[in-house]
Amino acid sequence: MKRIVLIFTGLFLIFSTSCTTDFDEINERPDALSANDVSAKYFVTNLQKGLFKPTAGPLWFGQIFHQDQYAGQHSGGHTQYAWDGNFGWEYTNWLQEGTNAWLAGYNSGITSFLNFVDEGGTLENDQYYAIGLIMKGLYYQLYTDQVGMIPYSEASNPDITLPKYDEQIDIYKGVISELDQAIAIIGSNTVTGEGVDKLLENDILFNGDMQKWKQLANSLKLRMALRAHGAPGENFAANAASEAISSGVLADSDALFTSFNEVVNIWVEHCNYGDIYYGFGDSGQWKVGEPLVNELKHNDDPRLGLISKPSVGGTVSIDISTVNSNQISFLKSTLDNAGLVLDSDYTWSQTDNKLIISIAENTHHIGLPLRLSPNIKPIFDGSLFSAPSDAVTNRSNEGGEIFPFVVMSAADSHFMIAEAIVKGLVSGDASSHYSIGLDHAMNLWGTATTSDFLASDMGSLAGTLEEQLEKIATQRWIVNYTNGYEAWAIVRDTGYPLSAITTSDDSSIRSFSGMNGEYAQRLRYIGSAYTSNGENIQAAIAKQGPDTKTTKLWWAK
Amino acid sequence: MSKLFKFFTFLFLLSFQYSLGQQVVTGTVSSETGPIPGASVVIEGTTNGVLTDFDGNYAIEVSQGDVLVASYVGFTSQKLTVSGNNNLDFYLTINSLDEVVVTALGISREKKSLGYAVTEVSGENVNTIKDNNLASSLAGKVAGLQISQSGSLGSASNITIRGNNSLGGNSQALIVVDGMPINASIAGDGEGNQFTSGSNDSGGDPSYEPSISGGGITDINPDDVESITVLKGPSAAALYGSRAGNGVILITTKKGSRSNRLGVSVKTNLYVDNPMLLPDYQNEYGQGTLGNTFPDRGSGTAWTGDSWGAKLDGSSKPYYNGSMRSYSAQPNNVENFFRSAIRNITSVSVDKGSESGSVRLSYTNNSSESMVENSDLESHNFNLRAVTNLSDKLSVDAKATYFTQEVSNRASTTGAQGLLGYVYRTPRNIIMDDLRDYQMDNPATPEEFSVIRYDDGLSGNPYWMTLNDENTVRRNRFLGFLKVDYSFTNWLSAFVRVGADVTNLRDRTIHKPGRHFNSTGLLRLAENTFGELNSEFLITANHDITDKLNVIANAGGNMSKRTFEGMVNSGFNFKVPTKFFLANLSEPAPPLEFPQSIKKVNSLYGSVNLAYDNFLYLDVSTRNDWSSTLSADNRSYMYSSASLSALVHQFIDPEQKIFNLIKLRGSVAEVGNDTEPYQLNQTFTVPGTGYLGLTELQFPTVKFNPNLKPETVTSSEFGLELSMLQNRLSLDVSVYDISTEDLIYDIPVPAATGYQFERSNIGLITNKGVEISLGATLVQTRDITWSTNMFYSSNENKIEELVDGLDRFNYTRSTDGNMTIGATVGGSIGDMYGKEWTGEVDADGKPIASDLDVLLGNAQPDWLGGISNSIRYKNLSLNFLIDARIGGQIYSQTSADLDRVGASKRSLQYRETGVVLSGTNTATGAANTVNVSGQDYWAAMSGISSNYIYDQDNIRLRELSLGYRFSNIEKLGLQSANLQLVGRNLFFLSKSAEDIDPEVMLGTSLGTQGMSHNPMPTMRSIGLNLTLNF
Repeated sequence: MKRIVLIFTGLFLIFSTSCTTDFDEINERPDALSANDVSAKYFVTNLQKGLFKPTAGPLWFGQIFHQDQYAGQHSGGHTQYAWDGNFGWEYTNWLQEGTNAWLAGYNSGITSFLNFVDEGGTLENDQYYAIGLIMKGLYYQLYTDQVGMIPYSEASNPDITLPKYDEQIDIYKGVISELDQAIAIIGSNTVTGEGVDKLLENDILFNGDMQKWKQLANSLKLRMALRAHGAPGENFAANAASEAISSGVLADSDALFTSFNEVVNIWVEHCNYGDIYYGFGDSGQWKVGEPLVNELKHNDDPRLGLISKPSVGGTVSIDISTVNSNQISFLKSTLDNAGLVLDSDYTWSQTDNKLIISIAENTHHIGLPLRLSPNIKPIFDGSLFSAPSDAVTNRSNEGGEIFPFVVMSAADSHFMIAEAIVKGLVSGDASSHYSIGLDHAMNLWGTATTSDFLASDMGSLAGTLEEQLEKIATQRWIVNYTNGYEAWAIVRDTGYPLSAITTSDDSSIRSFSGMNGEYAQRLRYIGSAYTSNGENIQAAIAKQGPDTKTTKLWWAK
Repeated sequence: MSKLFKFFTFLFLLSFQYSLGQQVVTGTVSSETGPIPGASVVIEGTTNGVLTDFDGNYAIEVSQGDVLVASYVGFTSQKLTVSGNNNLDFYLTINSLDEVVVTALGISREKKSLGYAVTEVSGENVNTIKDNNLASSLAGKVAGLQISQSGSLGSASNITIRGNNSLGGNSQALIVVDGMPINASIAGDGEGNQFTSGSNDSGGDPSYEPSISGGGITDINPDDVESITVLKGPSAAALYGSRAGNGVILITTKKGSRSNRLGVSVKTNLYVDNPMLLPDYQNEYGQGTLGNTFPDRGSGTAWTGDSWGAKLDGSSKPYYNGSMRSYSAQPNNVENFFRSAIRNITSVSVDKGSESGSVRLSYTNNSSESMVENSDLESHNFNLRAVTNLSDKLSVDAKATYFTQEVSNRASTTGAQGLLGYVYRTPRNIIMDDLRDYQMDNPATPEEFSVIRYDDGLSGNPYWMTLNDENTVRRNRFLGFLKVDYSFTNWLSAFVRVGADVTNLRDRTIHKPGRHFNSTGLLRLAENTFGELNSEFLITANHDITDKLNVIANAGGNMSKRTFEGMVNSGFNFKVPTKFFLANLSEPAPPLEFPQSIKKVNSLYGSVNLAYDNFLYLDVSTRNDWSSTLSADNRSYMYSSASLSALVHQFIDPEQKIFNLIKLRGSVAEVGNDTEPYQLNQTFTVPGTGYLGLTELQFPTVKFNPNLKPETVTSSEFGLELSMLQNRLSLDVSVYDISTEDLIYDIPVPAATGYQFERSNIGLITNKGVEISLGATLVQTRDITWSTNMFYSSNENKIEELVDGLDRFNYTRSTDGNMTIGATVGGSIGDMYGKEWTGEVDADGKPIASDLDVLLGNAQPDWLGGISNSIRYKNLSLNFLIDARIGGQIYSQTSADLDRVGASKRSLQYRETGVVLSGTNTATGAANTVNVSGQDYWAAMSGISSNYIYDQDNIRLRELSLGYRFSNIEKLGLQSANLQLVGRNLFFLSKSAEDIDPEVMLGTSLGTQGMSHNPMPTMRSIGLNLTLNF
């Protein structure tokens, strides 16, 4: 009996003490890094990529289906395309949720980064902190311009799990002040530090050049000042615009996500337009939007052929037995609006059931109208319309040159200076900045202004004040091609180009899209916000207006 | 030895008495499992009796009018009167009162002494009508046990005992085989984790392409099962510690008999499986849209895979593959995709023993076809069990099981992008066999490699997926233990046991170039190893302290080590598109390594069972765990249980005139539940591919909590057991209340916190329920017996609280975005949120779905019930099981899809005429007058999930067997021979859900319960069993 007691006591001691000594060690993850193993530079890439080059989901469900179409630059809904033209326009829960969740979720990364490099953080470094603030500014500007009020002032406080939604005016003010802070921190610094702290290729935009970061901060500040200008209660735009311009915007360089060749699995990685464009054979291939083609075409813009391909054309035979006469006239007016002349550029022969259109092959640029009704889709034959150019739709990893995703361009900065001058916020020579902007804009596409273009309506900044603003807005809209978020914001802010504001009064032609035919002014809030932060979102809706796509944002025209 | 002596003594007496002019009666004593050796046959009122021999035969000298009583432990005694007949056969039925059941730690106890509910299922009950998954055979047999399947061949089940006690993905019961907990990790549990088998185009969202492979209980061979004990609540299971919070399924496997004759048993089962049900289709309209069929493909017009075309008229029309075909209905095209699958399970076992031990060897081969072509399962199970007494005091028990299984092409049968998604919505005029031409002959260019499919959309060709794609999952598992028992004295003994369970899983998936997704081809090779090693000891003292007071005390300890390691190699784009191996990939993904993760749990435990006067029983147990997954401050935690039972019939009906048993019992228990490795300290991960080759790091999305505590499950239970009328009627009622606190959960937090989730101990979940079992022997004569068993169980799960500011969280959203499975405070796990029709229509007259999701149902059934009947007439026996699942809802995305594409029978409504829906037209603000076409109507309605919420209510004939036991076969050298005709899932007596089997869920995890999307049809199996014992 004694022996048993002894054995048992012995076993008890073994179990309770010695055998747990390796417990801490075995519970340490071997395939992950702790804070001691890392440097702040490794996190910069993902912050940039996460916002301007996210995974396929946000690009595809977000920009391609929503912003690019709302901006009038891309359009789906022709016969070969898998979805009808209403797709993306009509609110589809899962489709929009993909983007919204991504946008809402990005904040966690930027907050973590700022905490990490802030004073007292694990990898304290003020230059990285400045970069974090500028990325934060880019994020908030992009996000608030999509949906309106969002949590901002309480959004980075880890003690507040249910942050309130701030009004856009306060977000604008807050971001501008954080940009000021970043600009001050950078001062005349050129690098983030030395040795392992030195940021180089991990910075995709500027290779670690802090002065360019400062210019980006100024350009963003100017962008926000102009957007805020004239909105209710705004009193800071003039000051912010003049500060930004005098401190120095991105006047000679661009912040771009340039093309790359690398292994890409479009389902889980960041990818290019082309990876999605060709991801489903013919059926996922959208066309260039009618507004973009026509704006370029009517001004002999040399970028037309670089952005768009001429339509395949040829003779197409269309079954019109199930469509009405308005729908057929709409197809015809589409061709006419693209500048095609009946019987010289195309032939049109119509019987009761058949419509035969003949267009010269690979000759004419014809944009596809937006928001086409599902019922009209059968007559919008894909071969009549212009596809995006190879430069836009080349796939990753195949060696072809790919047009970059634009974050902020020198061209836009000059256009914005011109806008600030026209609006009377600063003084200067608006025409000259407009012209320099055009040069930079053409340069982005590897081309230059032509005499035809310079002679066109858009060639110079002439006309009334309103006409000048229209021209600047239109050029800003074009130069932000591939950044549908910004292009759409320009349309809503300035009301230009008019052609991009797609509305509908005949649902057999363009869908009402659950908006009774109105134009989309914002995206809806992420669904989970209603369950996770319900009171605050209801308070925001009470101030801003119903959570529908037709509610106008604070700065919208 | 003494038995033999008695036997010969009686033989002697018998011959002596014969000379006094009495008669000799002979016969057999048998039960449903065959002859009973060693049963006693006694003349009532005397001590004269005999024991049966190995074949259950007896012979006894009697006088006319004597009453013979046959009895055997565990069976109800039977009395027969001698009346001129020289042959009296006894047939005994199992009596649960004296039943000895295996309880926690493998301790055998008399069932009547237990203060908590256990249910035992005999091996025969699960191996007569075999499913490839042992768990499925438990469905409908145990009160309180809920089994949901996820469909395809060899896949796992969700086993829940008394409701869900945890918010996380795993609320499955612990599986213990011969005292050793086995690894129940399910590779590919539908949660999209790194073990997910097969392809996963969506990056792991369970609602897209769940591919559930087996694991845990699916690897146990039903033919080796002696019995299964279900320990339902924490009370019964407290001694198993952390993992027992969700209940325990104890499986005891067969040992050799101690008889020294060689026993040989051969069993073969042959089944034919066919789909039990398929969706209801329309057969009036063919492929097309807006009432049109499409002209030839040359015009550049896209082909839709919808069935919204013109009326099928038999005319010659362009067909999807470019030819002209008769435009006519193919009512059986979906059915034709499936085949009658043959399953053959054969097992051979050999056993031999002596007084000092026994050996049993068995081999089982399972060759099963899936109802889908080119998909099958082949497994071999080798099992060796040896028990031997080395001395009077020392004995050894050892077991080794090796299991090897290969499952081909199980991948991706369900979900949005799975195989059946493309099968079910096949246009109604397409001949299924035509789709066998899934690719051009001798393709050269990428275009020529492309899949040929029935539309130009995003769909795949089902035959491509099953005949051309490849998926092989090979699984090798070793299970074994060695146990040494030592008896110090007649009241004190101890054992030491070491057991190992190692599973190696190799999963190879190939998508060939030209496929609808991953068109350049994909290869994924994953190798995972799961291991579990348990070392334990137990000291048992069994002592009568006084005449009336007996004490059994146990003290023991266990060291458990669980490991996982794995490697995944994958990539895209085959350099040469005709051979498929890693080196042939031009876009290899960086290899993923999962270095060995280890979890250790050390435990000490003890229990004391006091029995007073065979009347009052008190059990107390306690256990302390030390878990490596928790911090030093929290890793040690203790919990206890106590139960009390009283056999009150001794006072109420001491003569047992009516009541043979009245037992009252009650118990309380607490169990702790730890977590997985690496959940405490924040780390950073390096993504697989760095952008532009750059080294980048990502911030973690979950904020870990170094102070994580174990979850605590507390339960209380009360029960009443009755047995009456010579044990022919029995009743067992339990009520229980289980609550779980400090649930370990990743709370979704606003991104503002820098994280998306925060791991915390939160909330309170309760499960309250009732279980009732009723058994009756309706007829018991020599030739006919009829016994019936019924059970009813209901469970109410409630989320009492989560955390401030969080009233609801979501598990999974359906791929159409219209249904979310979540859990709500005040509601329960499995709350289903979706859209409903607002009653308004838009300008086009289309119904408008509600903006916000509303609560549409819950995935948990209200109650489960089962009735099993066992009828024997002479050598014929008939058994059948009817079970019912009532309440609870399921979202059939299958039905929504079929309505949207116009393939369902429902979609005929309004097709020709359209409909003017009554409701407000939001464009005019007045009553609607706009006619919406059938196609637009169904397009809108199929997006409103409330239309596809079905009750899970169903009653089915789950099992039926008709058997014949051959007699007079001794000449053939046979001990016994049985032939049975069996059927499983024969038909529904009642069912609410359209198109689907409401018990087949999207996956095995909590978040996939309540959703069905393109499931593999439930198998209706019909087969023959032949069992020969030599």
